[in-house]
Amino acid sequence: MTWLNIFPKGLALKFALTITAVVAGVAFTIGAVIITLDWQRFQLELENKALLLAHSVATTAPENILQSDYWSLYKSLKNMTRQVPEGMANTHILTGMVLDPDGIVLAHLDTNNNPLGKPPAHSGNNETRLFTASREVRSPAILKSGIGKNGFLEGVAPIYSDEKLLGIVRVRLSYRELYLKAQRSAFVIIGLTLALVALGSLLGAAISRRITKPLTAMTEGMEAVGRGELSNIEPISVSNDDELGILASTFNRMAKEMVEKKTLEEQIAVSEKMVALGRITAGVAHEVNNPLAGLMNCIDTLKKHPDDPELVERYLPLLDKGLNRIKNIVESLLIELRIEEAHGTGSSTSLDDLRDIVVSEINGRDIDFVWDNHLGDDVMINRRRVQQIVLNLLKNSIQALGEKGTVVFRTFQDDNCIILEVTDDGPGISPEYKNQLFEPFFTTKQNGTGLGLWIVYRLVESMRGVIEVESEVGNGTQFQVTLPAMEMST
Amino acid sequence: MKRSWAACLCLFVFLSAIMASSVRAEHEEVAQTPAPIRFGLTAVVVRENLRFLDQWAYYLSEKMGQPVEFVRRRSYREVMDMLESGSLDFAWICGFPFVQNRDPEFIKLLSVPVYKGRPLYHSFIIVHKDSPHQSIDDLKGENFAYSDPESNSGYLYPQYLLAQKGTNKEAFFRQTFFTFNHSETVEAVAEQFADGAAVDSYIWEYMKEFRPELADKTRVINQSPAFGFPPLVSRLGVDLETVWHMKRVILAMKDDPDGRKFLDGLKLDSFGESSPSLFDNIREMALKTRSTQPRGDFSASNQSVGTAIKE
Repeated sequence: MTWLNIFPKGLALKFALTITAVVAGVAFTIGAVIITLDWQRFQLELENKALLLAHSVATTAPENILQSDYWSLYKSLKNMTRQVPEGMANTHILTGMVLDPDGIVLAHLDTNNNPLGKPPAHSGNNETRLFTASREVRSPAILKSGIGKNGFLEGVAPIYSDEKLLGIVRVRLSYRELYLKAQRSAFVIIGLTLALVALGSLLGAAISRRITKPLTAMTEGMEAVGRGELSNIEPISVSNDDELGILASTFNRMAKEMVEKKTLEEQIAVSEKMVALGRITAGVAHEVNNPLAGLMNCIDTLKKHPDDPELVERYLPLLDKGLNRIKNIVESLLIELRIEEAHGTGSSTSLDDLRDIVVSEINGRDIDFVWDNHLGDDVMINRRRVQQIVLNLLKNSIQALGEKGTVVFRTFQDDNCIILEVTDDGPGISPEYKNQLFEPFFTTKQNGTGLGLWIVYRLVESMRGVIEVESEVGNGTQFQVTLPAMEMST
Repeated sequence: MKRSWAACLCLFVFLSAIMASSVRAEHEEVAQTPAPIRFGLTAVVVRENLRFLDQWAYYLSEKMGQPVEFVRRRSYREVMDMLESGSLDFAWICGFPFVQNRDPEFIKLLSVPVYKGRPLYHSFIIVHKDSPHQSIDDLKGENFAYSDPESNSGYLYPQYLLAQKGTNKEAFFRQTFFTFNHSETVEAVAEQFADGAAVDSYIWEYMKEFRPELADKTRVINQSPAFGFPPLVSRLGVDLETVWHMKRVILAMKDDPDGRKFLDGLKLDSFGESSPSLFDNIREMALKTRSTQPRGDFSASNQSVGTAIKE
């Protein structure tokens, strides 16, 4: 269970993953937007710087150009690109130049390669493209080349004096600082995003635990209910008024009610047991008491007339009959106790021993007795118990038939079960008696003890079997006992 | 942003005017005399050392008993115009403006600095130290930097050289320009903005010592004959007493410990007395050059960035 709490599974994991995914998605999207905007903003800033520088040089240039004061032109170009104002300190100026309308260098920061009075040295297509493009510029413009660390842009500004084009200023700023700046902010944003994702994961885990903890507790509770361990259900802590809280409190109420119900049922069962015990006791007392009264009466009479042989002759059989009846009752009760302890097994053919007993029980009455044993020799049964069940059921049917009728005994195997069927075409059982059929001392017969079917019921139950009765008044009765074959050996 | 740029620009453009006014402001505090002696300067002396000039002005004021202020101008033409108009009393000019004809004459030789024992200096033709050029002939079709159109060493001498060769002075170089400052001429060559330049030997040697990072990048390929060192002059309108007083103070600097410090700072031996004939070879050179090329029309205004030059 502790493992479950540490590593969320199932719903908890899904919750955590979903929240993490959502947070990550949002954070990365926002991060990407910020980085893009940042890059655009930085680029715009750089463009403005380039334009400003080019424009500044272009503003001071006309006089110098008109007076062929190239040295001052060069100095102002150099100073303006060197003394970058505050806030532009991180601008990396690659080069700068002032060209005349014919593209001839009037001033160039790279003096060594670009001497005054000659076209600037431009090697490669890119430089040629920029050179050509810059010569066509008639109002301040930005020319770009490449992207990333080695890319750059040029602020190009034409130099006019009295609407006459005197030249063109080109100031080339590197993307390097811009790139590094963007990279730095990208790192920060990625870091923040990762932190947010981590935070989101933790939050997700916390929320999912918060949500699934009561669910897990409820699951455990329900499992306990399934196992019947009602007393083990601990109330789930209800920490909120939300749906989960309501669910938890409902579950708690249900569990409490189930515990109460179980307690109540147990109490009912106990009292029912007491009732049953009382009924048995009363039955035994009643059944024993009935003959006892007659016996006492006989003995009293014999005491008064000890020498009357006629009385002795008349009362002795009565005494004998009464004592036999008590003996039968006690025997029946004892049989049940004995058989419950009997574990001997034997072949199913041992049932056939019962045929003769049943025939003698019929005792010449007009009753057809059909014996139909389909169990093979290899089927082992609990001999004593099954014999008692079959005998009791057959006796019950024969007694119910009275003087005439048919009794069929049939037994067969069905899958893992042994089926015993006793069918008669007697008067049937009236519905009001059906519920009491297997109660002890319940009998509708004159001399019945009311223990036969009770013993059958107890034996079937002890073998985890099922007994079913189908009966219709006037159309006979069928008892069907289904016993699991695996229980036979016990 | 734009404002700071503008500020930079102003500072850069009106440097000399600002310096002049600051010098003036300080002296109005030191002495209450309303009419200071105005001493004109160009970039002949090393122009970066503002504090040096302040201290020297203070020294001269002390010695003169009245305020002296240095008035800086970009070109010799401006200084000459100011002398002529009377707005300067003294000036440190160049031999070339000194020998030019003036009618009526309005300046008089005051003193000639003594450099390395003689009141003489040279014009150097310099190139970048890595340059393949060995003579001024090799510089044909290249860029060339002059200092000031009225500078002897920085303009007249190279012009004279070209005139002597009989070449078309205009077509000889691809591009020429003026820096109006010998030290910037050296800088232009050091940065390879100019392929060659003419420069004052005194300034070049001074820079060799104090700004070797620039001067060491240059190499001398031609040295002129000795010329009279750029002289100090007085305006003729200034009262003789002040002129004599100034002359005494200037000449006595070599014997005065404080004056010695300023001379040391300028790398000069002394301010001496010389005859105007010291500059005769410059006059002769100017005549020979001018005979082959009429001088252009130089116009100047006090606060313009560059003097309009038609080449």
